[in-house]
Amino acid sequence: MKRTRVLMLGWEFPPAINGGLGVACHGLAKALASQVDLQVLVPQIDRDLPREGFELRGANEVTLQDLAATEKHYRYESFAEVESIPVSLDPYTSEESLLEKVVRGTKEWVEFSQTTSEHIGLFGNGDLYGDDLGMKVIQFSKIAAKLALQSDFDLIHAHDWMTWLAGVEVKRVTGKPLVVHLHASQYDRAGPDARGWIYDLEKLGMQEADRVIPVSHYTGRVVESHYGIERAKLRPIHNGAEPVSGGRIRRRFPEKVVLFLGRLTAQKGPEFFLEIAGKVIEREPAVRFVMAGTGDKLRQLIETGAFKGLGGRFHFTGFLTKEKVNELLSMTDVYCMPSVSEPFGLSALEAAQFGIPAVLSRQSGVAEVLQGALKADYWDTNLMAEHIVRLLTDRELRAKVVEQAAADIEAATWDAAARKVMKVYHELLS
Amino acid sequence: MMVASPLPAPCICFQVHQPYRLTSYDFFQIGQRSYYEDDELNQRMFSKVAEKCYLPAAQLFRRLIENSEGRFRIALSFTGVVLEQMADYRPDVLDSFCDLVATGGVEVLGETYYHSLASLYSPPEFQRQIGLHRAKVREVFGVEPKVFRNTELIYSNRIATEVESLGFRGVLAEGVPWIHPLSQVNSLAKAPGTKSVKTLLRNSFLSDDLAFRFSDKTWKGYPLTARDYCERLAGMHGQLLNIFMDFEAIGEHQGRDSGSFRFWEEFVSMYLERGGEFVTPSMAVTRFEVKSDYDCSHPTSWIDSERERSAWVGNAMQKEATLKIHGIEQAVMETGDPRLIHSWSKLQCSDHFHYMSSKVGSDGLVPRYSSPFETSYDAYIYFMNALADLQIRVDRINLARSFVV
Repeated sequence: MKRTRVLMLGWEFPPAINGGLGVACHGLAKALASQVDLQVLVPQIDRDLPREGFELRGANEVTLQDLAATEKHYRYESFAEVESIPVSLDPYTSEESLLEKVVRGTKEWVEFSQTTSEHIGLFGNGDLYGDDLGMKVIQFSKIAAKLALQSDFDLIHAHDWMTWLAGVEVKRVTGKPLVVHLHASQYDRAGPDARGWIYDLEKLGMQEADRVIPVSHYTGRVVESHYGIERAKLRPIHNGAEPVSGGRIRRRFPEKVVLFLGRLTAQKGPEFFLEIAGKVIEREPAVRFVMAGTGDKLRQLIETGAFKGLGGRFHFTGFLTKEKVNELLSMTDVYCMPSVSEPFGLSALEAAQFGIPAVLSRQSGVAEVLQGALKADYWDTNLMAEHIVRLLTDRELRAKVVEQAAADIEAATWDAAARKVMKVYHELLS
Repeated sequence: MMVASPLPAPCICFQVHQPYRLTSYDFFQIGQRSYYEDDELNQRMFSKVAEKCYLPAAQLFRRLIENSEGRFRIALSFTGVVLEQMADYRPDVLDSFCDLVATGGVEVLGETYYHSLASLYSPPEFQRQIGLHRAKVREVFGVEPKVFRNTELIYSNRIATEVESLGFRGVLAEGVPWIHPLSQVNSLAKAPGTKSVKTLLRNSFLSDDLAFRFSDKTWKGYPLTARDYCERLAGMHGQLLNIFMDFEAIGEHQGRDSGSFRFWEEFVSMYLERGGEFVTPSMAVTRFEVKSDYDCSHPTSWIDSERERSAWVGNAMQKEATLKIHGIEQAVMETGDPRLIHSWSKLQCSDHFHYMSSKVGSDGLVPRYSSPFETSYDAYIYFMNALADLQIRVDRINLARSFVV
């Protein structure tokens, strides 16, 4: 049987990683590589990156010569008439976007279709986001479409909104089916009122796609209710996790450790973690809470913690390297993820690999995977605190939760995720 | 011939202090490392100040005293921790100050050993630190402090009463303009409820001209000449001009380039030539009479434009840190472990809390300039981590003791 040929469009890719997106794309690409002919196009790559069974190309490496053959055959007219791109688009900011809705363009053809060396230069500076993100997204889509016209493949698989414009463009010029993969949406980052350029682009991408893969059923419900995408197109597939051998280290102090790990933004619910900490310490004084990560809420959280008198028992680590995160996990007793809206939540799986029982927000995808984890609505800090106290004091319950988690993570592999993705491909190609 | 009335007597008191700055003590060190100070940084800072200020300024004052036929004097107030650092890092500085004190023209004042805020939180701890300081001064300089000068001039009626009960004859305070009429700053005052202790009020205008404004080119008094300053002093009402400041103002805060050394030399010689005489606080309380009551019911200090406690306890982080460090006093004392008690006491140093200040404007400049940390948040986080480790040590010792008893 002829192997399926897939053009994958990614944004973050190791070593350029800001959040879970790059990790997930990389994990899935590696697992898919054994079953399909895979070419991956991302904004920028490191020339020295090892190849891992698939073709990897960076827009930063593309030359004008590479595009010359198709330059004249391509017109950019898909999404919107854009004269200037508003500044400060950042997928990780929690603030609501104030941008006006962008209307679909009416002009037929613009010189806009041309790619210049300046456009390619957008992808060379190491920053995938920044003030000119909108411009990057558009130029990436033009480069992708022109390359796609010179290449042979059976379908397109695009990860998150930054690449969806490219996915839509490639579909338009090649007629190949489009699969969009949703790792995080504007709903997660900015709440249910979020509207604007990113929201519009997300909606366009999912409308134009033949299949949408949300990373959880939870996110599938968001896609359906918030973006109005028909259920028949949705194929939720959970992420996998790279196996890690997580050990335990000798206790450094008598108190037990409860960990929050993530960006300190509204989406991750760090202020709920503070509240939970206050409630747990009231009942179980011999506990330390650690908030690892940084973000726009850090200073406010430090002040609130001080105001509540939690200092000395509530520790902020700031940004941590991977090694430090692992050291921290190896001394953690309970993992707590009170996210307001978490499409997946890879870090909870990583914690589970260290044998740490988790207390998870019901508004998270990973709660569907870790079936034994204790759950509560993110705002229900009483129940969250209750769960933590029980895991710290009830050894039997703790053992049960850890055991179930071990079974769950064994099943949560990238190979399993890749098998499900293959099914989606076959649906479209048969 | 008319006999000119005597010139007012300047009483010059310098604070000599360097804190033990903390390291970036992160969460991963808790329970692993029971030492919180950045020795390398502290040594470097001390040596820098020694070269720019301590050595040349001590030498200058020694010469001025020796050439004054006994009419020029100063008072120095050393914290216990700065004397420790001198002995450890730069014994030559300690020798130089010993020589200065040995001239007989220097009065050494009483202090809290750790430059702490203990006076605001715990009378027993306040007393303990004054006792430690007294012993240290006796050991190093062979003298007995008679006048007390609290951390950054923190003062209230209650503190005056406590200081009196410890046998001091005088106490230094900020002459806060909105508490006390300016016209009475240049004479001795007395706190309500005290019997014998006299209060010396700092003249903030005369002091800050030298301590802060001296090299400020935007100040309308710039450049300040020794002649102008002498004129101002000579024209002041009152008998006693209390000029209190950091010793580090000479050469460090006001760098050598600003001409601060030459200014002091000229000013002192000129004032003496005009027939003036300088007094020490002990001389002042003996020689002059109390002219007014100074009723200061809430603690004041010489710090910031508010002249109160907000430099150390203005925001939530500072409030928590100060309450927590003082809240464990009893448990720390119960350990009976001298090393641990010393560690805890050093964490009481007021500088740590000043670094956590989030004030903006000119009052925000000093903590940011002097702090080893980039932000007030970092200062808070690392302090609280160190305190957490200290608490673990305390708990461990007290738990072990409870089994023995």
